[in-house]
Amino acid sequence: MAAEPEVHADEVVRLPGRARAGLTALLLVLVTLFLAGTAVGEDSWWPFGPWRMFANSTAPSGSIYSLRIEVQRADDPTWQLAPLNPSSVGLNRAEVEGRIPQMTANPKILGTLAHSHSRLRPDEPDWTAVRVVRSEVLLNDGTPTGKVKETPLVEWVAP
Amino acid sequence: MSWLFAPVPLARVALLRRAVYLFVIVDVLFLHTSGYYHGWADPAWYQPLEMGRLLHLPAATVLLVELTRWGSVLFAVLALTGRFPRITGWAVAIAWIWFQYIAFAYGKVDHDRGDFVVALLVLPLVGAATVSDRRLSEAAGFALRAVQLTAIATYFLSGWAKLRYGGPEWVNSATMLRAVVRRGSWFGEQLLHVPWTLHWFQWVLLTLELLSPLIFVVSERWRRRMIGGWYVFHAMTYAAITIAFWPHLVMLLAFLPLEQYRDRFRAWRSGPTPKDEPPTDEPQGAGVDLGGTAQAAVPPGSRLRFRATQR
Repeated sequence: MAAEPEVHADEVVRLPGRARAGLTALLLVLVTLFLAGTAVGEDSWWPFGPWRMFANSTAPSGSIYSLRIEVQRADDPTWQLAPLNPSSVGLNRAEVEGRIPQMTANPKILGTLAHSHSRLRPDEPDWTAVRVVRSEVLLNDGTPTGKVKETPLVEWVAP
Repeated sequence: MSWLFAPVPLARVALLRRAVYLFVIVDVLFLHTSGYYHGWADPAWYQPLEMGRLLHLPAATVLLVELTRWGSVLFAVLALTGRFPRITGWAVAIAWIWFQYIAFAYGKVDHDRGDFVVALLVLPLVGAATVSDRRLSEAAGFALRAVQLTAIATYFLSGWAKLRYGGPEWVNSATMLRAVVRRGSWFGEQLLHVPWTLHWFQWVLLTLELLSPLIFVVSERWRRRMIGGWYVFHAMTYAAITIAFWPHLVMLLAFLPLEQYRDRFRAWRSGPTPKDEPPTDEPQGAGVDLGGTAQAAVPPGSRLRFRATQR
């Protein structure tokens, strides 16, 4: 069944001393970068940045924010919820969430979402307006209260 | 020093490579595709990482994402053939890392993929290795050790990052609750009704993460149990918040004697073959002399070989 002849374990393939030293140095460099990344680095240090998945504290009686987009289409002037994911606009929710200051300073950047959407989904109607809405799930003592607060943040209308 | 180079069978590296390069193909085509769609995002959203500033990497275009994605697939297929393992292996590394870079240079970095970079960089170092090559190799030992160290560093440094960003009060925060509310599954929704489970989970998680390096000082038997424990942990995380750290799950394989599992699987699949059997007319497994036949599960002559693996 095996196409290759079986080679047995009676010999050990050793590494010359210089190769050992080089590999040890390589490992030390990697260790230093990873440790530094966690101690003082930021996400932009990838792949050496801090492994901070779920590292932030959420206050047990605070709120949980999430962002969504609503759009008006050429054939429907009412605001409709639109998918905010890579296959729809080229970006995912977290990427848009991180740019709130940039979007409020320059609402025109929302127009690029409409543009990307028409390139990615040419069969769907074009978006003529896009707005970003923040929803806030309120917590009390570690449990959702059932209250949700909605705030429209920024809006773009096609010229 | 010798701990870093403790020899392991070359076959183990060959099998880990198969897992890693198969994963690369599945990953770029099906699992992690946000980078692909960045080809259609406006360059206004591009936020270069340090790596991109250093290497002057441009914003994504459709052409670039297609090249890095299909380049990853093509080089991974070539690497799976086992020919020219260094060139093909490092070609996969460049294509895959670039594709990930594109995914992360738009404002969101996933924190489960840094360790896989190390696997892609060190596995080609070993050079030629086939699944039937049972010679022990120090270079193979180093590569596996580096992957193991990075995989465990993921846990330990995640714990450290929680203390850095969340502070010691992280264990009492509502972080897991937030995760479930944002992307919970049916199972996660059930946990919301018993919030103390999520709270206590945070204590257990941080403790396990900070103690994870102990895996290097326990016995081989316990080491494998701990790896099993981590796999169970990741399965539960997936059930609750539908997040799995896929590349990391592949990295954990570096702790396991893959070539022995392959032997057992093949023996089980093909049944006893004349070549492997001791010269006896009795059908294997039919004997009642349990004391004498219990070790026949391992072909004679292989037993020493199996022992001579990385501690």
